[in-house]
Amino acid sequence: MIPLLLMFACEGEKQTTDSETTTTDSATTGETGDGTDTAPVDGLALYGLLGWDGLDFTYADGVVPYELATPLFSDYALKKRALLLPEGTSFAYTGADEVFEMPLGTRILKSFLYPADLRAPEENLRVVETRVLTLEEDGWEAEPWVWNADSTDASFAPSGATEEIEVIGLDGEPLVIQYLVPQKNQCIDCHELVIEEERTIVPIGPKARHLNRGYDHGAGEVNQLEHLAELGWLTGLPELAEVPRATDARALEGVAVSALDAETLDAAARDYLDINCAHCHNPRASEGVSSQLFLDRATTEPFDLGVCKRPGSAGGGTGGLTFDIVPGEHTQSILWYRMDTEVLGEMMPDLGRSVRHDYGVELVAAWINGLEGSCGE
Amino acid sequence: MIRAALPCIFLLVACSGDKDTDDTSSGADDTSEPTTDSGPDDTESTDSTPPTDDTGGDSGTTSDGITCDDVARANCVFIKAGDTSGLLDAANLLDDDSAIVLDGGTWAMNNALTIRSVTGITVIGQGMGETVLDFSEVANQVNGVDVIADDFHIEGLTILEAPKDALRIEDSSDIVIRGVEATWVNEDDSSNGAYGLYPVRVQRVLMEDNVASNASDAGIYVGQCQHAIVRNNTARGNVAGLEIENTQFGDVYGNLVEDNTAGLVVFDLPGNPVIGRDVHVHDNVIQDNNRANFAPGGVVAEVPAGTGTFTMASRRVVITGNTYANNNTADIAVLSGLVIEEDPSQWYTVTEDIVGDITDLELFADEDGVYNFRTSDVWVHGNSHSGSGTSADMSSFTERPFGFLIGVLYGAETIDTVLYDSIGESAHHPTDPAQNSNDNRICVGDDDGVSFASLNVEELLTQPLPDIDTVYRPEAPFTPFDCAGFEVIAPDLEAE
Repeated sequence: MIPLLLMFACEGEKQTTDSETTTTDSATTGETGDGTDTAPVDGLALYGLLGWDGLDFTYADGVVPYELATPLFSDYALKKRALLLPEGTSFAYTGADEVFEMPLGTRILKSFLYPADLRAPEENLRVVETRVLTLEEDGWEAEPWVWNADSTDASFAPSGATEEIEVIGLDGEPLVIQYLVPQKNQCIDCHELVIEEERTIVPIGPKARHLNRGYDHGAGEVNQLEHLAELGWLTGLPELAEVPRATDARALEGVAVSALDAETLDAAARDYLDINCAHCHNPRASEGVSSQLFLDRATTEPFDLGVCKRPGSAGGGTGGLTFDIVPGEHTQSILWYRMDTEVLGEMMPDLGRSVRHDYGVELVAAWINGLEGSCGE
Repeated sequence: MIRAALPCIFLLVACSGDKDTDDTSSGADDTSEPTTDSGPDDTESTDSTPPTDDTGGDSGTTSDGITCDDVARANCVFIKAGDTSGLLDAANLLDDDSAIVLDGGTWAMNNALTIRSVTGITVIGQGMGETVLDFSEVANQVNGVDVIADDFHIEGLTILEAPKDALRIEDSSDIVIRGVEATWVNEDDSSNGAYGLYPVRVQRVLMEDNVASNASDAGIYVGQCQHAIVRNNTARGNVAGLEIENTQFGDVYGNLVEDNTAGLVVFDLPGNPVIGRDVHVHDNVIQDNNRANFAPGGVVAEVPAGTGTFTMASRRVVITGNTYANNNTADIAVLSGLVIEEDPSQWYTVTEDIVGDITDLELFADEDGVYNFRTSDVWVHGNSHSGSGTSADMSSFTERPFGFLIGVLYGAETIDTVLYDSIGESAHHPTDPAQNSNDNRICVGDDDGVSFASLNVEELLTQPLPDIDTVYRPEAPFTPFDCAGFEVIAPDLEAE
């Protein structure tokens, strides 16, 4: 990573002009984007938008934190998300399943942090990284920022970082996580779609179906979509009852997978696959096209979802199995195997998982076991 | 702790528009592991001609090694030996039309080297074995060098111990891979990465003078590409040496493919929208491919050891002028896709998804799409054969039934050099040429050392004990498989 101070340390050396302008200009100016006028948080990087007081994030005026109904698993990291629109701008409701088309200059902040003990997620927190997505003239720009060990400041880190993080797991046992802060180019792997033959970086979370849930901004819980509408950021919001709602992971907390009825199980598993897999495994992403496996919510054809489908180039990831999904038999399904294994080179997803997500594995196993049919072998 | 310390970002663009800086001119001399042209110690992997095409005709690379002066890109950065985070920062902040020149030495990588969102990039090292990107300490599941970029060239380096694929270039066009080595330290290790050099869904790719070894799937894997020239490469110690998969217009020649489980293979996989066609396999050496299959899984685990070449679910393939030697199961097998996937519907692709023009191909089709399991128009002629077919791979009936079937069928007899499964033929007879059809137009030349068998595999599988007397094993000229053949359409590497 690049400590901001080094910008000054290197000043005066030759050959520095180009890189200052290309890599750090916006970081040094403290500007927050086109036309926005937010008060920078004292002494903090990240465009003055975000700080950490040891217990929680402090956001500059106008930054709106939000949460997703079904969050993406990232090695058990906790995540805090926030959105900032340039003053006077807004975006329109265009449906529940498409990412909102945000105005130029919009920023999305996504921070990753760990508690010392996953069973006590409010205590002994340490911030690891913040990813900044900014909508610029030529599309979304993704930047990794890495926090220092004291969580007091963050630095732009185009090459990301790797770190071994040890926490107490949900089972009370020590859990060692090989944490990867993605390098800038790796951000693209989860955020790129090919739309009309153009590669386009898109955010993953901000869809109506994922935002359609409550959030407490300090004055009691309000629906996040209604809150955005009240701020004047979201226009054309229909009646909430008409907006589809992704499975709210909070509502399932503490509920055994075995206790879910068939309908809830199907919805929860498909939402889990959608948020965790479909950013690559969809018909508009490179990896989806190469593998011909599509796990997005819109896909309904069983073969496209992997049922009785042979993998394209799974390498060692097959676990010696033949089909992506064998209905009724999760242990015979490559999809489940790659979620379950912790063997390097065989795991899925590629990024953001060095350990197994026990709950997700159990959920998808139950879903596969509930599918009907056979693969004729 | 965070292992990504970077002393100063400004080194990244040190050469940008400023080629006479200290960084670029001193180059290799500053390194702790200087690059030298060591003559006697050179293995054949470093014999390849130094990369020259990028230098605008200036091939006068001196013993000082490659510098930014040798690369014809508008921007260039020279990265000193071992500056891993400098390399990754450079790769993440590239402008179009840029080169990264790597010093000699070994680079302890902690993450993949990735190239994205840019056009016209060259990554060039001081030669294979001289510049080594070592991924053995990477704790995350990434490829070694991972690229999505048009007009990308990579040359003169070794990619060692990548967790997944050593070099993966996906969905890009106008790619050159030259003088690159992809390898893993341990032989026969199923935990090695899957693919060595892997262009997938690439339009126009040139691969030459590369070496790939010890991959747990394919050493060199050209997948779902259009217009590929693959020449003068070496593949050894892999499960599959050199694979041309779902690829259109391939010219594959001058390669040395030895000591793999299977040598040089051409095939389509089911349900893929790139229907393979027009692959010319000529003047390669394909020998001693008898390594026990060590793939951890997948279709490649089904390949019997001792296979020189198979072409499967393929059309318009010419195999000529190659030297086949000592491949214990068989030199050449011509197979229907139904051998690995018997359900034709799995081989179906709807017309709107099809890549490229396939209107001249005679594929099974209905009004909405096509099936690509059929193998047709294969011309095998003018190859030399010696020492092969002595003992089929009978190591596993369940995993590698084809090897087992051949072994039982031939017993102690020498296995014919060219085997055809006969799937899809309307007529088959063990002795009478007139009662054998050649609906798939499989043409086999009458050359020294060639023997041919039309197996009628579907019938063999119904027999309690496969009976060699039910196989059609004609004398030369192998009527009705003595057809004249055809010309493949050559790849065109000129950008559109």
